[in-house]
Amino acid sequence: MYQLNQIVSLLTDKLEKIETIDQIEAIKVEYLGRKGIVNQLFSQINQVPSEKRQQHGQQLNQLKINIQNLIDLKSTTLKKSSKLTTTKKESLTRSLNKIGHLHPITQTERHLNKIFRNLGFSTYHGPEIETDEFCFQRLNVPQNHPARDMQDSIYIQKPDYLLRTQTSSIEARLLANHKPPFKVAFPGSVYRNEKVNRSNHFIFHQYQAVVVDKNVTMKDLIGTMDLMFKQLYGQDVTIRYRCKYYPEVEPGVGPDMLCFQCQGKGCPLCKHAGWIEMGGSGMIHPLVLKMAGIDPKIWTGFAFGMGLDRLTMAQKNIKDIRTLLGGNLAYKPNQL
Amino acid sequence: MKIIYSHLKQFLPDLDIKSDKLRDDITLIGHFTNFYEKIDNEIVFDLDIKVNRGDCLGYYGLARDLAVFYNLKLNIPQIPTFEFASDNPSIIIDSTDVLRIQAIKLTGVSNSTSPDWLTKFLNLHLINPINLVVDLTNYIMILYGIPCHAFDTTKTGESLVWENNLHQKYSQFTTLDNTTLKLEPQNLLITNSQNPLSLSFIGGKNSGIDISTQNIILEMAIYNRSRVRKDSKILKTVTEASIRLEKHLDPETIPLAFSQLIHLIQKHTHAKISSSLFDHYPHPVILPNIEFDPKFPSTVSGIDIPIEFSTNCLTDLGCSLSPLVKEGTKERLIVTPPSIRPDLTLSHDLVEEVVRFYGYHHIPTNQPLSSAPTPDITPKILHLVEMTKDKLVSLGYDEVLSWPLVSTPLDKKNVVSTQDNINSSFPYLRQSIIQSLQSQVDQYQRLKLNHPQIFEVGKIFFQIDKKYIEKYALGVYHYSETQLKKDLEQLNLKPITYDNNYAQIILDNQDLNSVKSYIPQISHNSAYELTHQLIVLDANQTFNSPQDPQKLLASYQQKINPDTFWSIEIIDIYSKPEKNIYRYTFRVTYFNTTDKIAKKTHLAAFNLN
Repeated sequence: MYQLNQIVSLLTDKLEKIETIDQIEAIKVEYLGRKGIVNQLFSQINQVPSEKRQQHGQQLNQLKINIQNLIDLKSTTLKKSSKLTTTKKESLTRSLNKIGHLHPITQTERHLNKIFRNLGFSTYHGPEIETDEFCFQRLNVPQNHPARDMQDSIYIQKPDYLLRTQTSSIEARLLANHKPPFKVAFPGSVYRNEKVNRSNHFIFHQYQAVVVDKNVTMKDLIGTMDLMFKQLYGQDVTIRYRCKYYPEVEPGVGPDMLCFQCQGKGCPLCKHAGWIEMGGSGMIHPLVLKMAGIDPKIWTGFAFGMGLDRLTMAQKNIKDIRTLLGGNLAYKPNQL
Repeated sequence: MKIIYSHLKQFLPDLDIKSDKLRDDITLIGHFTNFYEKIDNEIVFDLDIKVNRGDCLGYYGLARDLAVFYNLKLNIPQIPTFEFASDNPSIIIDSTDVLRIQAIKLTGVSNSTSPDWLTKFLNLHLINPINLVVDLTNYIMILYGIPCHAFDTTKTGESLVWENNLHQKYSQFTTLDNTTLKLEPQNLLITNSQNPLSLSFIGGKNSGIDISTQNIILEMAIYNRSRVRKDSKILKTVTEASIRLEKHLDPETIPLAFSQLIHLIQKHTHAKISSSLFDHYPHPVILPNIEFDPKFPSTVSGIDIPIEFSTNCLTDLGCSLSPLVKEGTKERLIVTPPSIRPDLTLSHDLVEEVVRFYGYHHIPTNQPLSSAPTPDITPKILHLVEMTKDKLVSLGYDEVLSWPLVSTPLDKKNVVSTQDNINSSFPYLRQSIIQSLQSQVDQYQRLKLNHPQIFEVGKIFFQIDKKYIEKYALGVYHYSETQLKKDLEQLNLKPITYDNNYAQIILDNQDLNSVKSYIPQISHNSAYELTHQLIVLDANQTFNSPQDPQKLLASYQQKINPDTFWSIEIIDIYSKPEKNIYRYTFRVTYFNTTDKIAKKTHLAAFNLN
């Protein structure tokens, strides 16, 4: 029986040597024809032990796709080089060259990173497998605190290790590892124990900014958030700031954006509230600073975080959250 | 939490605010109001109550907030004095989880169905009316946020015991709605020493009140909220009562709420009080004394908030304020919050109270933080990640994000598994990013997306010597293995692990010392959600002279509806100049449409009808 890797390797060698479309057609028949190599392999599948048959079948399917792709690529290259003698080669080439794309979440993250870099912020990161201490306790959420109900966790090893449920765990690491003053912003993927469906996912993306310095106030927080929202969504965006509860901040501040779909009248996007909740923020709780060894009588700070998935979906007209991860998100090839 | 405007008025008789404004104001002071709706001639608000404001899971607590905000008088219902009997109800409290309980025995109850106003009230709160006594207990729970319960003593016997299920004395319990729960050790139960009659947050089938009930023990209690929370979670049972009892409730509100309940039951059922008032309250609440600088709200908010406003606000909230003491340039006073506000323990908590009533809208929005930089602490690996992404995009690769959870481990010895994961088909964290990319490639093949070139930078996970390790990994796929190798050579990253058309590079293993600061490219491109397979159709067009391919492509593209147009290319040009024949073969890809519509569009665009 053929070794599958050898087949691809031999084909690659053959394709490098051929020069005409007719030769390509012959190769195609040899490999993918009715009596070709691939079909012969499929016909011999009964000889494979039953426990390995399914895996072997998958390998053959992948082999078929790989061979088709290699032949297509060679065919395209030959057509470009041999048939354009009387046309403008560069024009056609342009229609065939592919340009790459960044994922929309990355685009949003980079946009936010730029806004904060211009304000003198560093970027940062933290582990995705997190301890209960950094995910909850150091954020003023002790065991059995009802605030834990806000975040259903995916545990790795109960009760100490879990997949981080919020980017605030990165904030807890930051506070523990660096001495103020600092200004830091960071994106991160976070996990919740949610069934995956059209509206919910177990993984989503947050963005957080943290500042600790002397004399930092709510005015700094609200001014900075407003600047960010205006740069993200345009100068005409309307944001209101209200009291909101998060255990790791006090006072807490909730920014809401006037719904861009209904302009405040109420629609399914804003759940008929007229406003879209844009995340949470507030002045870092003195107990959180204390737990990190930072004296809250000297240092104050703010933190705010926001989700990126829903807004990216709204911007790209994506209806199904599964599209963003391993789903049906695709990019158009280069445009004219 | 539902709030009916007209019922709010029993605590705030002078409330006269338009519904739109009331919705916005309630939200601004911290209780997000999704919407209000008119149902059955009532205006009903739908509120999200913060987890630290258990007091606002009842009309009373919310009315207290609104009284401060609108400067209105709070109306406390006047309850007539009761004539208690001398006999104690037979109640034994054998659990430290009972923080306070008041109970009383009533006889001669004339139970019935509820009057219309009560039925309507409960329906608007999405609670099914049962009978008058039960409905009144639910009514009081909603008014004050403290659950209460009635036991039919004909069914239970005269003696009730509050006890934990030590040594698993009781094995199971059947709820009012006929669900049998397997009891766990430590569950807090109300029993008659022989059988469990009720959990702390849901009544039992064997003690429930029915229309023929005549003699009852009525109780209102607050428990150790951790106990309630654990019981609710372990027994997988959530009720209106458990939602409230898990929060920090005020034992000092029980006398007010319970007396109104007794009054209502007496009034509507003509019941007779047949016992003394049982009041178990072993550890009365100790109120905190908070040292508070009245200028502190200005310091924290960054705006000038008058001291008088701060002190008046705290007084209106029910706080006791000591006289102001001056120490040099500093002033301070001692603030003692009311027991109904257990969330107020620090001076920062008091600041939030002052600022939320003063109004966040007073804080200017046009004064961001100074842009003076602090030391750059960006980890070098993040620069490498961004630089790598940009290089791959420039080589024609599309970035994808895939699932870090996978169905099968590559190496069982060091795989990291999840526990109690709802998505049980994907219990492992990926050990190679290629695992995730393969799923994405499969998905693209199902969608008939030709020639994918994709990459992802994400974490991969291992467990080594009982430690969890995670590393940044780059995964790349190209439909041509040869091209993949050529492209990756340009990245100067090693080692590269190849797996046919896939490759993986561990970014943490690179020489990070040589990585320089990198400012990534900002680009905005269109990404689409494919709802159908792509549809590929070809068309030949023959001309008698050579054509400019770009103009041709643009010309045909214009003829196709942009909502379904994905791409166009010329895949073949055949020419016989001596006969003036120039044939161009176009390949058009359509998206998010049906075969039939795509074909119709295609035939029209190339005039092939």
